[in-house]
Amino acid sequence: MAAEVAQLLLAVIQGIPAGATNDDLTKALSDVSAATRVEGLNILLQQGGIEILKKGEKLVYRAKDPEKKSALPKDADNEEKIVYGIVEEGSNKGIWIRDIRMKSNLNMTQLNKILKNLETKKLIKAVKSVNASKKKVYMLYNLEPDRSITGGAWYQDQDFEVEFVDVLNQQCLRFLQMKRENAEKKRDGPLALKQMSCCTVSDVHKFISDLGISKVNLDEDDLETILKTVVYDGNAERIMQQDGSYVYRAVNLPLPPTGLVQMPCGICPVIKNCSNCGDVTAIKCQYMKEWLD
Amino acid sequence: MSADYAHLCSAIVEQCFGKVSQSVSDCLFSATTRTLSQIASATKLSRKEVGLALSVLINFRLVNFEATKLNPFVPEYSLSRQDILCLLRYPRYIHMVQKKYGSIGASIAEELISAGSDTASATLIKCLSEEDTRADSAESYRNIFLQMITDHYIIKRPELILSDEQDEVLPKFESNECDYFRHPNVDLQLIEKIRRGEATLAEAGDSNMIWNVNYDRFHQDFRDAIMIDAIERKLGENASECFRFILKIMYKTTDPWQRKLSNQITFVDIKQTIEKKSNNLDLMKHLDQYITLLTDDSLGFLRRVGDMGGGLYVVDMEHAFQSLAFACIESVITERFGSKAARIFRVIRFKKFIEQEDLQKEAMIPAKEAKSLAYNLFQDQFIHVKAIKKAGGGGNGLAKSFYLFQIKEKDSVRMLLDVCYKSLYNTIERSNFEKNEHTGLIDKSLRLDCIVETMKERGESDEYIAEIVETFTPPEVEILNKVKNRIKTLSKAELTMDQTIFLLQMYQHHCTILPTGIGKYK
Repeated sequence: MAAEVAQLLLAVIQGIPAGATNDDLTKALSDVSAATRVEGLNILLQQGGIEILKKGEKLVYRAKDPEKKSALPKDADNEEKIVYGIVEEGSNKGIWIRDIRMKSNLNMTQLNKILKNLETKKLIKAVKSVNASKKKVYMLYNLEPDRSITGGAWYQDQDFEVEFVDVLNQQCLRFLQMKRENAEKKRDGPLALKQMSCCTVSDVHKFISDLGISKVNLDEDDLETILKTVVYDGNAERIMQQDGSYVYRAVNLPLPPTGLVQMPCGICPVIKNCSNCGDVTAIKCQYMKEWLD
Repeated sequence: MSADYAHLCSAIVEQCFGKVSQSVSDCLFSATTRTLSQIASATKLSRKEVGLALSVLINFRLVNFEATKLNPFVPEYSLSRQDILCLLRYPRYIHMVQKKYGSIGASIAEELISAGSDTASATLIKCLSEEDTRADSAESYRNIFLQMITDHYIIKRPELILSDEQDEVLPKFESNECDYFRHPNVDLQLIEKIRRGEATLAEAGDSNMIWNVNYDRFHQDFRDAIMIDAIERKLGENASECFRFILKIMYKTTDPWQRKLSNQITFVDIKQTIEKKSNNLDLMKHLDQYITLLTDDSLGFLRRVGDMGGGLYVVDMEHAFQSLAFACIESVITERFGSKAARIFRVIRFKKFIEQEDLQKEAMIPAKEAKSLAYNLFQDQFIHVKAIKKAGGGGNGLAKSFYLFQIKEKDSVRMLLDVCYKSLYNTIERSNFEKNEHTGLIDKSLRLDCIVETMKERGESDEYIAEIVETFTPPEVEILNKVKNRIKTLSKAELTMDQTIFLLQMYQHHCTILPTGIGKYK
């Protein structure tokens, strides 16, 4: 009897995607007594077919997505279900173990056990974040981690790929310089020269993809960050166009290496300690000696 | 004025004027003003010695004096600290005059510089009596002297007012701005007579007009050269030529040492000047484009402020030297900490304030390396940290604060200037040390050169001369050459270092309100 009622109730609840209130249920199934209805709802809740939500003062029953439910094996206990649910909410950004504990109100040992359990069942996975190497976040097994977690194209297993970035930086600079040289060959006046030596990000993107130096797919945003480093190296300029986009152009530094750095004192790491007395003096200075001989 | 600068000044004065002057200038450096007896008691020198040292320093315009407030009969002395550094720039001044006026000008500048200050006639006589310049006539010397006055490279000192009252102890001077560059009357016939010994210098009519070199006029040229070179490096020759003309036009209406902005210049003005004086066709054809190029460039030397006369422009000295000083700091950072550190510095400069984590992301440098580089820069005061504390916390939980990196450019420049002063002092110390270490050897070689010279004059045989030369053993020659090389390297470093100092001083003049002692007239 109760099982039949439960099936009827589920059908009604599934018919209202926003969730059915108690009133909806009484209206739809007017011949079922309140006691049987409660019994039927309890069965559904146990099976995990519906969930109860609170909307203002009223309780709302909503059907759960059957696909999601199927990911969890039938023998999962209540704690596992809750933890799984919390991890699921974290989506591809992942969720920190501390936050899981706060939300689930489970103690540490129990939670660890459950997480391990779920991990061995390949339901969830732990992903290391690039921002803090010791911080592990959990997410569902079949999800691709977000860029903020993996760091995007520049990271390989949490390691920043310095060489890759450096090579790209050099190639971008080479491209900008090439463009400038080509522009200098044509003699169309200074403004035309400037215009022609400017490159948009998509120009550079095309050049880099044609070069084929990158195994990973780089999009234009990635290259924009690389181009910015070229600007920060002082080798290029970022110029805003009238439509708000940016173009890049290779430039020379305005000054030759300054006079100070042409002698050891300019690059001396202990110049602060240098004085007339003590161990660091101009006369005893080892750097000075090497430089003069 | 830092302790480093005090050391440097002390070393320079010692090098140029000797120990006594050094202790007098040290004493004056540490005080605003001092009287003669105060100096004498502080330095433990006799009044006569102090007086002599002061007169030398006054002659070189390094010391000024005026009556004390309490007693009009007692003079107080003060040191013009900024000018001491100019003593090291003498080679540059002479080199510049040489380029502009040829060897005649150079010899005039040399005489005037080594004398400190002198009358026109006395300077010309000294120049003419030099051996290798006899070919040129006295007239050409006089003309160039007058030309240098017209061009403000030589400036007249305030004239002494002769009064009959004997009780005035302190001499009085008349300084009149329009009078600084008035030509003196140079009597060429009298100079000829003096040279032949038929007259004395006292008879010359210009004995009350005393001249010296006008440092700031030279500095103006140095400054222009820095700016023009920067434009040439960045925007090419034509743009730099265009800017040179713009500066020329600017000086017609603007005090060269105006701190921030020049007065306005119209496009028509620039165009007319360039059409008249330049024969660079490409520049004339694309003049408007070159001007746009200059105004659009990130260096910001030129700024458009209006549309009158085809476009109204100002030369933005403040922005210009800000960009250049940054370029200079960046170059030091690149050499000292590597190009990654320079990248970090630029990121902070563009972002104004930035947190550690954002910094490494923006610069694309691994976290560890970025941290260590940033902290190194912070330790050496190239960058600074601003802490923003969040209010509250009050026991429950940590009160969070944010630490943002920023650049206080004025502080960084001052720090770098002090490093420059210290390094310059080190080169002087080191080269004194090298000289002292090998005094015996240097003296010997000088003596030997002297002997060989006289022997050659006497016409002794080559074999005999060679024998004498051989008394200088090969190891000695080797050491001597080594020492000479070292001293040469050091003095070369001194000159290049001064260029950095000059640039940073220009920054201080144009971008801060610090007193720099730079002006059209002193």
